Amino acid sequence: GVLAHLEMLEAQAYEAAVKQEEMEQQKEKLARLKARVRELRLQRDELRAKVDLQQKRQLGKEEVVSDPAQPRAQAVLEWKIKSVKAMLEVFYLTGISGKLTKRGVCFCISTAYEGTYLDSYYLDLLAKPEVQIHRHSVPIFIPLEQIAQKYLQTDIRRFLSVLSDHLNAYVGRRYQADQLQEHFSDQIEGTLQRNSLCDLLVFNYNVSSKSKTFPFNVRLLYRDLCRSLPTEVVVSCT
Amino acid sequence: MDETVAEYIRRTVLKIPRDEIKTILQKWGFLSETQLQTVNFHQIKENISQDVVQLCEENAADIKQAAVLDIIYNHIYPNKRVWSVYQMNKTGEEMEFFDLTDFKKKFKRRLRSALKNVTINFREYEDNAVWIRIAWGTPYTKPNQYKTSYVVYHSQTPYVFISASVLKSNLPLLCQALVVASSYHDIHEMELRSHSLNSLKDIVFKRYSQNFQTYYPRPLQERNVAPENADLRIIQENRSEKERIQRVNREVFGDGPQPKLEFAQYKLETMFKSDPKMDVLDKREPFRCLVKFSSPHLLEALKSLAPAGMADAPLSPLLTCIPQKARNYFKIREKKGLFPGSFVSP
Repeated sequence: GVLAHLEMLEAQAYEAAVKQEEMEQQKEKLARLKARVRELRLQRDELRAKVDLQQKRQLGKEEVVSDPAQPRAQAVLEWKIKSVKAMLEVFYLTGISGKLTKRGVCFCISTAYEGTYLDSYYLDLLAKPEVQIHRHSVPIFIPLEQIAQKYLQTDIRRFLSVLSDHLNAYVGRRYQADQLQEHFSDQIEGTLQRNSLCDLLVFNYNVSSKSKTFPFNVRLLYRDLCRSLPTEVVVSCT
Repeated sequence: MDETVAEYIRRTVLKIPRDEIKTILQKWGFLSETQLQTVNFHQIKENISQDVVQLCEENAADIKQAAVLDIIYNHIYPNKRVWSVYQMNKTGEEMEFFDLTDFKKKFKRRLRSALKNVTINFREYEDNAVWIRIAWGTPYTKPNQYKTSYVVYHSQTPYVFISASVLKSNLPLLCQALVVASSYHDIHEMELRSHSLNSLKDIVFKRYSQNFQTYYPRPLQERNVAPENADLRIIQENRSEKERIQRVNREVFGDGPQPKLEFAQYKLETMFKSDPKMDVLDKREPFRCLVKFSSPHLLEALKSLAPAGMADAPLSPLLTCIPQKARNYFKIREKKGLFPGSFVSP
C-alpha cells in the first residue's frame, strides 16, 4: 500500500544520494590528479632546462680550453673598453661632455660647487641647416636665448663656456642659500628672501652684546650672473 | 567682525575636507593653538565652521586674514581651478634685480589706479612662487570676494599662471599690472590650459622628463613588472617588435612621469579627402572639424597606446609634440607641411 510505496521512494532517494556522493568524490580525485600532473610537468620542464644549461656550460668550458689564443683577444678587448669608459668619465668630469646624435650633438653640462656635485643640464643641438637648439633642460631664468644669439653660430666653444659659467654660478648661489637656510636657521629672524636666480638675498639676524640685542638686516646682491659670490653687500642695523 | 567676512570664512572652511581642516587652520596661523584645541574637529562640518567663525569673531578677523585663508586653500587644492599660461616678452638685455617688495608695490599701485575696488593679497612660497589673489569689484560696488582671480608668478621667469574664473573683462587690467610690476613689455596668452598647475609649471619650466642621449644614462628604475610566467612552453613570437616599441616610446616620452593634461584640441581646416565618386562636398572647401582628446591624464594615456597595441609606434608628432611645444590647442591647415598655428577657444 502507501507505506510500501513510501519505503520504495526512500530507498531510491538513499541510492541517489550515495551515487551523488560517489560522483563528487570521483570529481575531486580527478581534480587532484590533474593538479599533480601539472606539477610534475612543470618539474620536468625545469629539470630539462637545467640539463640544457649544464650541457651548454660544459661545451663552453671545452671551447675555452681548446683555444688558447681566444682569451688574450678577449682580454685586450676588455682593456680597450675599460679605457674608453675611463676617457668618457674624464670628459664627464670636466663639466662639459657630449654625444653625437643622428642630427647633431647632445651636450651635457654638469655643475659642482666646492667639491659637491650638483645638477646636470642637457642641450640637444641640430647641425643643419644651421646650428640651433632643438631641446634643452636649462632652467627658464638662465638667459639661454641671449647667450645663444651671441655665440651659438660663431663660436660654439665660447657658447658652451659662457653657459657653463652661468649654470655653475647659479647652482653655486642656490647651494649656498640652501646651506644658509639649513645650517643657520636658528640665527635668521623670519624667512630668507630669495628669488629664482638666487641673485638677491635678504635676511635679518640678531646680534646680542651686553644683554642688548641689535637687529641687523643684510642685502646680498649678485650683479655678475657668472659669479657665485656677491658683488654688493649692504648690512644695516634697523 | 563684518558679517560678509564671517560668512566668507564659514564658506571657505566648508570647502575643506574635514580631515584637513585643522592642519590648514594651523598653517593659517590666525587662531592660536589653544583656540584650536577648543574645537571638536570630529563633528559635522557645519558645526566646525560655526565654531571657527566664532573664534574668528573673538580675534576680530578682517577681510585680509580671510583672503589669506582662501589663498592657502587654493594653494593646497590648485587642481580645482583651470589654469592658463601667459608669456611675457621684454626687448633689450637689462637684467634687473627682482625685488619682491618692489614688485608687490608696483602691482598694487597699477591695478588700483585702474580700478579702486579690488582686494589684493600676496603670499610667497618656498619655490620662489608669488601667489596673488584679486577679488574684483566695479567702479561703483565693493569687491565681490566670491569673484576672484589667482595669479602665480615665479620671479625672473617670463611665465605667469592665471586662473581667471568669472570676470574675463578684467583680464586686460590684470595683465597690464603684471607687465608693469615685473618690468616686461607685453604679455600674451599661450595655447596651454589645464587643471594641474604643477604640470603646467613642469612643461614651461622644462622640468618634465626628457630623454637626452648621453653616455651616462641615469639608472633605470626597476619597475614592478610581474615576472613573466616562466612556463617554457610559451614562446614570445614578437618579442623584438615589443622591444622596439618600448625603445621608441622611451625615446619620445622619457622615463619619468608625464605632466598632467586633461585634453588636447585640434581644429582642422584641411580638405576632405574622399573618393571623388562619393561626392560628399561639391565645393572644394576645407572640411571644418574639431578633434578633442580628453583623458584624466592625457600624456600617460598617449604613452601607453603603443605598448597596449592600440597604435603604431612612433606616434604622430602632432600628439607627441605637446610638452615640447608647450601647447595643447592646435590649428591645422592644409598640408604643405602641417604647421600648428594659434587657436582661440570659443
